[in-house]
Amino acid sequence: MKLNVIDLPKDDYKGGPSTLCPGCGHDQISNVIINAAWENGVRPEKLAKMSGIGCSSKTPAYFLGQSHGFNTVHGRMPTVTTGAAMGNRDLTFLAVSGDGDSASIGIGHFIHAVRRNLDMVYVLENNGVYGLTKGQYSATAVKGSKKKKGPVNKQQPIDLCKLAINLGCTFVARSFSGSRKQLTALMRAAMSHKGFAFIDVISPCVTFNNNEESLQSYTYVKDNDVELHAYDYIPHRLPIEEVDIPEGQFNDITLFDGSILRLETLGSDHDPNDAMAALTALHTAEAENKHVTGLLYFDPTQATAVEEQNLVQTPLSEVDDEIMRPSSASLDTLNARFRGKA
Amino acid sequence: MTYIVNDFQINIATANGTGSQSANLILLHTMFNMGVPVSGKNLFPSNISGLPTWYVLRVSDHGYQAPGDRTNIQILMNKATWEQDIADCLPNTLIIYNENVKMPVERDDCIVIGLPMTKMARGLNPKLAKMIANMVYVGVLAEVLGLDDGALDEALTNQFRGKSKAIELNLEAVDLGRNFVKENVVVDSIPFRIESRERDENKFLVEGNEAVALGCHYGGVGLLSWYPITPSSSLAEGVIAYIPELRENEDGEQYCAVVQAEDELAAVGMVVGGGWAGVRAMTATSGPGISLMSEFIGLAYFAEIPGVIWDVNRVGPSTGLPTRTQQGDLTMLYEASHGDTIHPVLIPGNMEECFEFGWRAFDVAERMQTLVFGFSDLDLGMNRWACNGFEYPDVPMDRGKVIRTQEEMDAIANYGRYRDVDGDGIPYRTLPGSGLDPILYRGTGHDEDGVYSEKPDVYRKLVMRLKRKVENARTWLPQPILKEEKEKQLGIIYYGSMENSIQEIDDILESEIGQKVSQCRVRALPISPVVEDFIRSHETVIVLEINRDAQMYGILRRELPNELIPKVHSAAFSDGMPPRARKYAELIKEVLEGVDN
Repeated sequence: MKLNVIDLPKDDYKGGPSTLCPGCGHDQISNVIINAAWENGVRPEKLAKMSGIGCSSKTPAYFLGQSHGFNTVHGRMPTVTTGAAMGNRDLTFLAVSGDGDSASIGIGHFIHAVRRNLDMVYVLENNGVYGLTKGQYSATAVKGSKKKKGPVNKQQPIDLCKLAINLGCTFVARSFSGSRKQLTALMRAAMSHKGFAFIDVISPCVTFNNNEESLQSYTYVKDNDVELHAYDYIPHRLPIEEVDIPEGQFNDITLFDGSILRLETLGSDHDPNDAMAALTALHTAEAENKHVTGLLYFDPTQATAVEEQNLVQTPLSEVDDEIMRPSSASLDTLNARFRGKA
Repeated sequence: MTYIVNDFQINIATANGTGSQSANLILLHTMFNMGVPVSGKNLFPSNISGLPTWYVLRVSDHGYQAPGDRTNIQILMNKATWEQDIADCLPNTLIIYNENVKMPVERDDCIVIGLPMTKMARGLNPKLAKMIANMVYVGVLAEVLGLDDGALDEALTNQFRGKSKAIELNLEAVDLGRNFVKENVVVDSIPFRIESRERDENKFLVEGNEAVALGCHYGGVGLLSWYPITPSSSLAEGVIAYIPELRENEDGEQYCAVVQAEDELAAVGMVVGGGWAGVRAMTATSGPGISLMSEFIGLAYFAEIPGVIWDVNRVGPSTGLPTRTQQGDLTMLYEASHGDTIHPVLIPGNMEECFEFGWRAFDVAERMQTLVFGFSDLDLGMNRWACNGFEYPDVPMDRGKVIRTQEEMDAIANYGRYRDVDGDGIPYRTLPGSGLDPILYRGTGHDEDGVYSEKPDVYRKLVMRLKRKVENARTWLPQPILKEEKEKQLGIIYYGSMENSIQEIDDILESEIGQKVSQCRVRALPISPVVEDFIRSHETVIVLEINRDAQMYGILRRELPNELIPKVHSAAFSDGMPPRARKYAELIKEVLEGVDN
């Protein structure tokens, strides 16, 4: 049996059977998560799976069965993750959310988790519709797109990649559930990033939004996907001399754990450290009804929410009770001070 | 002349943001330092600067702390309320006013002292005149009432601790007031006096919010997430203020994280996340915050996550009266969130309990694996009350049934996250990061192993266990405090900040209708069986509370055996003000008249 760097088989990263619609893009993302976590040698017991409510948020049941997880309330998963991160700084967080969760009911929490630079991987499974309630438009529905039933969507979409870049998010990527190789590289890079890593994965809803008039269908996205780069994820354990050098131009970015994401230039020469270029790429693609995918923006220099706290190094959940409770002498001092005797 | 000694009420009318709070606290602490039983209440507006504020000082050798029947001394500093404040004065009130406000005082039936406080203060420091004018009335009162110089110096020095210039300037302002009285007032013609009493050196004054905040630290709080809201902000800020002193290691690293959240929903979401991860997590809020938190409260209840929420009650509904007090959130706390839910509520009635319940709430939460509410209110939380000192927790932390090692796990036969293996309704749990029997926590229906289930019998069994868990807590949560008379005729059930009015109510009833009253102060929900015994053993029982809808009474009616319900009555009243003993005594009399007829 093939084992990963921490001697675990891939089966240890699998979860229960999916109950989503057959062919759902979300299941492909779950598979990418399983592969990425296995290949990166993530310790399942040190990872926590987080989600809100919706089709996407059900998926943590389908991967990483040896990790604790929390399927919280609609849109407010980032808050629970924030609390858990403060309680145990050794946990790594892999979160799955949907467009209803993140672009509507929980957009405020998304914004503030980005603002705090909470150290987590935040996977948005984005299909432009509410699935579990049977196919209403979500706030990421593309203007002029039409889902299977009902009128053409006339409202502007909320682009969470644009929003995240404007908020100073430290890792912003867009991908497509049909681009397994690209998504795997980005997922692995996100897992190696320190800070808020946001991957907006266009994941067509095969039941409610996969018709011909839809601009978010599987076929449409596949045909209109503008890829920024081709990617290779180079684990930090791998001697660099063993890595094949691509023929064309490329650019390496070094991730927090020493791994490298190799960006091989395709059409344009997008620099992921350039926020304005990232926004331009998004606006340009949108104007042409295209979907730009790849690593849009990357900033490894920001402190995380937990780092900003100046907490002890031991996870607070593991500190002895005798240390968490101040001494009786300290209370004597306080009482004396209140009594004006100190 | 017969003097009225240590038994009167001073009302100080000022405008918000003029520095009068310092002057008023100095008066409070001066009397307290003299060993005189005194209480001070700040009646302030929802405003930063300019709107009317009153400070009510009640001096009472009986120890009465609620606002009394009448004002005996009225200080007038605020033009905006001038005419009404004067109109409200009963005959023989001592009125001390600032002449520089240039408003008339025409009350021949009162003792009136006017002096140009602002002008006098301007002579000391033109820039700060508006602020230190308040210290002039402190000086006037000091001279008229006979306040002790040493006690006043101590109070003033503590108020401006470490700021020698401010101390000097304010002492000079006090002297201006004192000298004015010496030169212009026949003090012997004024009947009010303060006389020193034996001072209990152990007693001090502290705000309820600060007492709770300290208690939380001695409960080992590891995460405070909060969103600012009156009147709870000073509780959260109290927690934050004590972190450097109490919660740092030698390298300056901290044992308590603080997140100012984007809203109350986020604040409680973080509490849930922290509790799930295994740290003691809390938030502090008021009624509007609880309304917003209700969804997460249900999740924590159903997924069985510990956490603590302090509600410092202000007046609802809606934004209501944000700077006034009430016990209007009780039912909401007990039953917060949709579906069948029930939560433990701890209800402190004094400063010692604010501290104790501060730490104990975490023990209850972790033992029961559920959210626990601390229930305070603006009156208790934001006013200074006498305290005998904070007692160090007498028990180690109760971390509840947490499995931390494989050996502990192996010792449990048939482990399931939600399986009641001990028969007490409380299952075992493991923490994320431990690698021990991980599950996907959820707010959806789940079986004893935490797996999604919609089966009727699974659901029924789960919710009945959750109910049993809370039912079992009736006997071990903080028990009621009883003060029983041998007559066993009239019993009063009350809770929380009503503690500060109950003795006066009791005395009024005894002196005016000859009724000996037994008291039962409830300190937790669900209600202890001791309360049922109390009701059973008394002829008539009245539930006293500071709300319109008789919330505690309603809970009792629902939970008591039917045969006891006819003898339980309600005296519920709320107008935003701290409870006045006279008002409740009259309500009780009305109820008793109804019972007799």
